[in-house]
Amino acid sequence: MSWITDLLRRRRIDRDLAEEIRQHLDEKADELAAGGMPREEALQAARREFGNPTLIEEDSRAVWRWTAVEALAADLRYAARQLRRSPSFTLATVLTLALGIGANTAVFSVVNAVVLLPLPFPEPDRLVAVESIDIRGGPHPTSLSYPTFFDFRARSRGFEHLVSYRDNQFTLSGFGAPLQVPGAIVSWNLFPLLKVQPALGRGFLPSEEQRGERVVVLSYELWQGRFGGDPSIVGRAIAVDRLPHTVVGIAPAGFNFPVGRRRVQIWTTLARDAASATVNPITEQRGARLLQAIARLKPGVSLAEAHAQLDGVAAGMVREYPDVYKNLPRTSVRPELERMVGDTRWALFVLFAAVTLVLLIACANVANLLLARTAEREREFAVRLAIGAGRARVVRQLLSENLLVALLGAGAGILVAFAALSAARPLAGESIPRIELASIDTRVLAFSVVIALLTAFLFSVPSALRVAGARLDRGREAGARGSTDANDGFRGALVVVQVALGLTLLSAAGLLLAAFLEVARRDPGCAPEGVLTFQISLPDNPYRDEKQAAFYESLLERLAQVPGVISVAGGVPLPLTGQQMQISFDIEERPAPPPARPSSDMAIVTPGFFKTIGAPLLRGRDFDARDTEDAPPVLIVNQAFADKFFPGEDAVGKRIVPGANSRRNQSMKREIVGVVGNVRQSPLGAEPEPIYYFPYRQLTWMPPATVVRAAIPPHALESSVRAVVASLDKEVPVYEIHTLDEVLWSGVAKPRFLGFLLGSFAAIALALTMVGLYGVLAYSVARRTREIGIRVALGATRGTIFGLVVRRAMLLVGIGIALGLGGAVAGERLLSRMLYGVGPRTPLLVSAACVLIALTAALAASLPARRAASTEPVEALRME
Amino acid sequence: MMVLRTLQRRPLHGYALVQEIKRASNELLQIEEGSLYPALQRMLKQGWLRARWGVSPTGRRVRLYQVTEAGARRLESEVSSFERMLEGIRLVLAPVKP
Repeated sequence: MSWITDLLRRRRIDRDLAEEIRQHLDEKADELAAGGMPREEALQAARREFGNPTLIEEDSRAVWRWTAVEALAADLRYAARQLRRSPSFTLATVLTLALGIGANTAVFSVVNAVVLLPLPFPEPDRLVAVESIDIRGGPHPTSLSYPTFFDFRARSRGFEHLVSYRDNQFTLSGFGAPLQVPGAIVSWNLFPLLKVQPALGRGFLPSEEQRGERVVVLSYELWQGRFGGDPSIVGRAIAVDRLPHTVVGIAPAGFNFPVGRRRVQIWTTLARDAASATVNPITEQRGARLLQAIARLKPGVSLAEAHAQLDGVAAGMVREYPDVYKNLPRTSVRPELERMVGDTRWALFVLFAAVTLVLLIACANVANLLLARTAEREREFAVRLAIGAGRARVVRQLLSENLLVALLGAGAGILVAFAALSAARPLAGESIPRIELASIDTRVLAFSVVIALLTAFLFSVPSALRVAGARLDRGREAGARGSTDANDGFRGALVVVQVALGLTLLSAAGLLLAAFLEVARRDPGCAPEGVLTFQISLPDNPYRDEKQAAFYESLLERLAQVPGVISVAGGVPLPLTGQQMQISFDIEERPAPPPARPSSDMAIVTPGFFKTIGAPLLRGRDFDARDTEDAPPVLIVNQAFADKFFPGEDAVGKRIVPGANSRRNQSMKREIVGVVGNVRQSPLGAEPEPIYYFPYRQLTWMPPATVVRAAIPPHALESSVRAVVASLDKEVPVYEIHTLDEVLWSGVAKPRFLGFLLGSFAAIALALTMVGLYGVLAYSVARRTREIGIRVALGATRGTIFGLVVRRAMLLVGIGIALGLGGAVAGERLLSRMLYGVGPRTPLLVSAACVLIALTAALAASLPARRAASTEPVEALRME
Repeated sequence: MMVLRTLQRRPLHGYALVQEIKRASNELLQIEEGSLYPALQRMLKQGWLRARWGVSPTGRRVRLYQVTEAGARRLESEVSSFERMLEGIRLVLAPVKP
């Protein structure tokens, strides 16, 4: 520890030493002078005999181990001064590094949170997602039905626990305004599966899966917010969907299942589905696939083993129930993290690649700048070496300068990363799971700093080597003859690389943006502007069948009377949401056995729905007041349905037997009475889906989403809507209030986000390339001032000089573009998955990218070219 | 070692030290002045010497170095190991017995 006190006394010791040596020399000189030598000579002789006092002082000081630290501090101070003196270089380098490192850090943080972070439960790698595999239309994982789940649970051997879950919304009432909360319906062993202890009370018991049981676990946030954190709530009953449910436990703070953006507030057992209101409860319908399942592997059992065993169970079930499981012969058992993230993992790595490209371009730029700067200062280095600076010292000086710039760049980069991350989260929306967890953590910071240091070091090496090895005593003057050298070639190569990388990025961005525009521009089949949508939830008790239909009818009637409303109707599922209900049916003319029956999306609508959303009626008629539950059963289909199942014929008048029926009419033939235009169900799909529509009064399953077309801005209707609903029943919650525009917008979030991101990167890359090109050319012109002066003196016109510079620039750019085309093609192949319908226009887009780069380069080149062209020969020659 | 011994007899400042060693060794040993001060600093750091400002016989303000206890101990051990080494050399170089 003594070195600390040494450091503090340093100044005094310094002074002492200096004085001591001075005295020594004086004394020595005195002695010599006393022997007859003149004073001046004596002093010189004394000094000569003594040695270099400065060096000796330094050596003495070195004893106290200051040198390393002090030298570094001195180097950094000097470096800071140097940097301040050339602000444009400093700014350019710091900005370049900031952009490259910042983008990289931000994306790395996202990748870290989304892909690399394990699930927040103990032993998360033992958690697996269990699904059935549907082999129709290419094998893909699909949900389970309750009986399938029960059989899996009973017969599987590889799992410690197997839990089913599905999302649901619940209405809490009884005090205050009715509250709609997101919830989940799970099998009993959710908490043991996750190895999570409730904060209060307990999880569920196996017996609580029985029909008639009504128990819930509340989330910590809900408990604190709605019930004031009252511990006595455990054991009491609360009204959920107007029925008393006993609260058996409170989940720990921060707990969420299923993991994701949706924060689940309440969990209940599948007893709820066992008591559902259809003839056969959902828990007994083997064909009703609506569940997801998650399991924990038994200790010592591998995923492969558990999977194989479950596949055996599935094979057995195919034999037992061939009709049901014919198309579901196998299961999918994979790590839960992979199921959650799998699709995005690929997209994120593409992003990471893009961002690395940007970083490479940035590094190339920085390298260029550093090289140019070193070359400028060769004279300075030569002088310093000549007056006795150690080579090592000068190299160290250079390195510390570059280090300082790199650190500044890294610091700025971290700021950029923070900003980018905060901007990215709202932009990404739902499209990237777990993005809300992304943050700049220490690993990421270290990553950035390492990159910065690496850059500084790598790009200092060539300069340092030049300084250390060069015979600078020969004195290289700025602007000397010999206009180009190896350095120029290297810098030129760097520019070529930059252009190539930039073109790759630009093409990729262009393609993605085109895809996004394509998707966004696609005709949704309806007129979404000016339409408000909202959902209500009506509990089965008392709203079933006729009561529900009556309630809904009154709602529509009252809404129609609100001032500003043009028309109002209901439909489920809403278009553009991507939600789909697929039910098979039988065509009367061409009946088929159950496994071979066609299936298609279905929807339930009220009269006037198509008019309200702006979908055209092409043939036949819309539903109207005639189509009650006693009237002949009818259907409307869309054009895609008619084209697919009745090609070349008039679908109106045909009959089909849908698999979906209300209780009263089983296996009822329905007549198609109208054909409407195609309204997109999924905003990203390639083709419009075939849909057949039921009239709400004839299939009163659930209250539809309500659509309201108004002459006033839709959001202004919100309070009137709530008032109307409350006037009918004040316990009915109103939620998911959006305009149809907003629904459409959020549907295209993913391609929009990616297109925007890549577009930003491409813009940055372009900017960097421009700066790089400008820097190289400006420097090259500056070095060749003399040569240019001579040329002008010998009769070259401005135009010739201009052309000279620009030609060199375009040569570089041309080579870069040629190389970059390869990159662009590779990029397109990589991205083809996400390019919805852009294919044929790719060559056009890539050519556009080439032109853009060429133009930018020309612009970047024109400035130094102009400066070169306006050189006065006299001044140029005088520059020596 | 010689610096310590010389300073043990009496505290001196740098220049005087050089002169004293020269004189005491009958001009056989002459310390290179350039390496003197670093050496003094090293010994200061190790704690074998102590320094204070004083006045020289010629009236200058000089820094006088003085041996500490630790320095004295060090000197003893160095001298004894030197003498051992000397003994060994002498034995090896002993003239061959006829």
